[in-house]
Amino acid sequence: MSTILLINIAWQVSTLALVTLGLAIVFGKLKIMNMAHGEFVMIGAYAPIITSSLGLATWLQLPICIITVSLVALILERTIIRHLYGRMFDSLLATWGVSILLREIVELVFGRSYQSVPQPVTGTIDIFGTDYPAYRVVIFLFVIFGFIVLAWWNKRSKVATQLKAMVENPELAQAIGINTGRLSAGAFVFGCATAGLAGLLLAPTVQVEPMMGLDYLLKSFFALVVGGLGGLDGLAVGSSIIAGTQSIVSVAYSQTAGYLAVLVLSIFFLWLKPDGIRASS
Amino acid sequence: MVYALLLSSLLAISLLAVPMLLGDFVAYQLGLYLIYGITAQGVGFLWGKAGVLPLGQALFFGVSAYSTGIIFQNVDSLSLHLVFAILTLAILGVVAYVIAAVVFKRRTNSGPYFSLITLALAMIVEQLAGTTTHITGGFNGLYGFDSIAGLDPFGSLYYLIVVCSVSVTLLLMILNTLPINLIAKAVSENEPRMQLLGFPTYALKAQAFAFSAIIAGLGGWLFASHQGIVTPTSTGFALSAELVIITAVGGRFHVFGPLIGAVVFGFLASEMRDNFVYWELLLAVVFIVVVLKAKGGLAELIVVFLDKIFPKLLSISSNEFVRTAAPPSNRVLKAGNLIFCDVHLQIGVVKILDGVSFVLPESGIVSVIGPNGAGKTTILNTITGNLFPTTGSINFEGKRIDKRPPYAALKSSIGRKQQVPSVFFSLSASDNLAVAMMAGRARVPDYFKRSTLTWYNSALTNIIDHPNVPLKTALNKTAQTLSQGHRQFLEFAMTAATEPKLLLLDEPCAGLSSEETSLMTELVREFQSQSDGLVVMVEHDMSIVEAISDKVLVLHQGRVLSFGSFLEIKNNTEVQAVYAGGTK
Repeated sequence: MSTILLINIAWQVSTLALVTLGLAIVFGKLKIMNMAHGEFVMIGAYAPIITSSLGLATWLQLPICIITVSLVALILERTIIRHLYGRMFDSLLATWGVSILLREIVELVFGRSYQSVPQPVTGTIDIFGTDYPAYRVVIFLFVIFGFIVLAWWNKRSKVATQLKAMVENPELAQAIGINTGRLSAGAFVFGCATAGLAGLLLAPTVQVEPMMGLDYLLKSFFALVVGGLGGLDGLAVGSSIIAGTQSIVSVAYSQTAGYLAVLVLSIFFLWLKPDGIRASS
Repeated sequence: MVYALLLSSLLAISLLAVPMLLGDFVAYQLGLYLIYGITAQGVGFLWGKAGVLPLGQALFFGVSAYSTGIIFQNVDSLSLHLVFAILTLAILGVVAYVIAAVVFKRRTNSGPYFSLITLALAMIVEQLAGTTTHITGGFNGLYGFDSIAGLDPFGSLYYLIVVCSVSVTLLLMILNTLPINLIAKAVSENEPRMQLLGFPTYALKAQAFAFSAIIAGLGGWLFASHQGIVTPTSTGFALSAELVIITAVGGRFHVFGPLIGAVVFGFLASEMRDNFVYWELLLAVVFIVVVLKAKGGLAELIVVFLDKIFPKLLSISSNEFVRTAAPPSNRVLKAGNLIFCDVHLQIGVVKILDGVSFVLPESGIVSVIGPNGAGKTTILNTITGNLFPTTGSINFEGKRIDKRPPYAALKSSIGRKQQVPSVFFSLSASDNLAVAMMAGRARVPDYFKRSTLTWYNSALTNIIDHPNVPLKTALNKTAQTLSQGHRQFLEFAMTAATEPKLLLLDEPCAGLSSEETSLMTELVREFQSQSDGLVVMVEHDMSIVEAISDKVLVLHQGRVLSFGSFLEIKNNTEVQAVYAGGTK
């Protein structure tokens, strides 16, 4: 295996983990199968295009991204998702409609064509004798750092437990003083915002277009199937297996083969290890 | 049946009149929409009846269209064309069955997973169709083949489409009146209950998926002849999405719903797509509103409307209380003990069962008692296969039963009534009982005979015809309108109807009044004396335990504390210590 492939896998794994994080919260904790998850990645990726069309400075991309995505997520949560906590199948249907709606809106505003986003950090870095785009290295380090902080916070905070309590028994959770409305809305918006952030970070490395989200929805979903809905370690393992398999098979054969390998892998997991790799055996 | 024939001939007549009344071009357009309609009817059957949502149904449509095109290009004989068509549909059915069976096999709540898998499959095949240019013609499409039997797409082919559309409609309407329809509804409504009734639900769902895939394949077969070109879009994401939308908006619970949806959507879209920029947006909003607020879609509106004008038309009277003696159960009945041998069950760090061993007699009533968290319900769960022991073995009738799925429990003659009554809430009480009568008894042809719905046996009539049991007058009511007590009797009747040698009851008297409680204990005793088998009953109320039990099994912290007659248990000092002050 060449160095470049290894670095590429590291890059793919870290970005997939970031995309999957939001779905892990919304799907794993809130039991909302958010089919519009990929659309939040897509909206996040459009942030640089919004910023440049408004003539704003580059550094404003981040706040614009977070604000836009959070706003859309909040509206969605207040109008539709709020009624669907714990009802996975109904949430799948409703958010599937929402995903079409979001794609159509973006298409009306920005058109169907591919847009490319310039990299905010240019140049390359020498890693073990291979030149690699500096931007990707920066993002990789950022994501790793982010997950370390998150894991540290997750150990100390009771939010995960409160979420579990809320989904299993909202009335009891309220009775013991959990503000369920705020907690669920907060978790949903946070989940979508991380997806948006992932979109923003990915934007300079991919082609930005209204349909781009689907791919991220499926990959992050597969990562959860393989890794299980347990916690951050499962997420990391799942993202690694999915992104790793796809990268290696894509390089060895073709993109389609890479895709196919990931799908077959997920089906086998649902069959043989239905609760994911981290399930207690 | 008459109703189905009437409606489908009405459909046939109106469709056949279209070319004469509205011209060949409208018929050509309508033909395409009917093709989508057929496919959507398959989606409607799967989603509306069996409760499984396919998000990638265009996969089967497109693959069938491609293979039809390739066969038409290379083979030049009508009979071979038909043979290949049947072969293609059969292969699609088998592939669909295998995929669904694998996804559904291990968990009952994998519905959303299945939807996403089908979506991914459709996207991959779309990609494959676009890249394998030497086979599919890539993005330019596969073309240069004649239609089936050389029928003119702008003329006579329309009549073939009408024949297919009417046949599929008629078939689905007939299926609606048969026991198989009840089974599909029951699976989508309460899968764990169906498993305890011995139905391998994963296989049933996979069969429904295979059926819908074959219908989609038929759609694709017609499509190839109609369009004369097949492109990757006919197998991909966009068409799959469209199929789900027209099914939802048209109405997934009615046979005609998806057909209406496809035709309305087709004509509207051909008008609006280019003239009205917000068309797709509007469609997405309509879809969201339908799935959240109007699940029945257009078809439901039409039914409500028709019902207002002709109140008598749609209400088919089915108040026939005909009874047919049910055939005997499929299983071989052998006598045997229920033996637990050092059973441990650990979930995470929690030890729920910690070395349970006992031997229960072949016949009699055994009560299982113990404080909360002693492992009583878990014992039942390991017997039915809802939980697998970590170590140890469970034997019944001389066979190991600890590592088999819940749907195989009835085959080893084990029936179970749940703690919270688990019935089919949207079905009437008599339909609930009909499903239970089919359990472990119906063979494949029985699911397609109406007389199966009238089956009864003595185990059932002993309960239903008992003067004090409140079910007989409530048979036409849906289970959700029954009170908790009535549901307890309904679920007991359903479980008893399967005539298990080992009957597991989890607090059957919970939520019952004192009269109902004594009635329930009487029924349990009667059932036991008729079946001469073993009844294992989890119970908290010591007066019931005293009244009914031949033996009592006391559990404490995942272990057997004591086993013996009620008197022995009552005088056991260890039991007294656990129940300090709890016994009467």
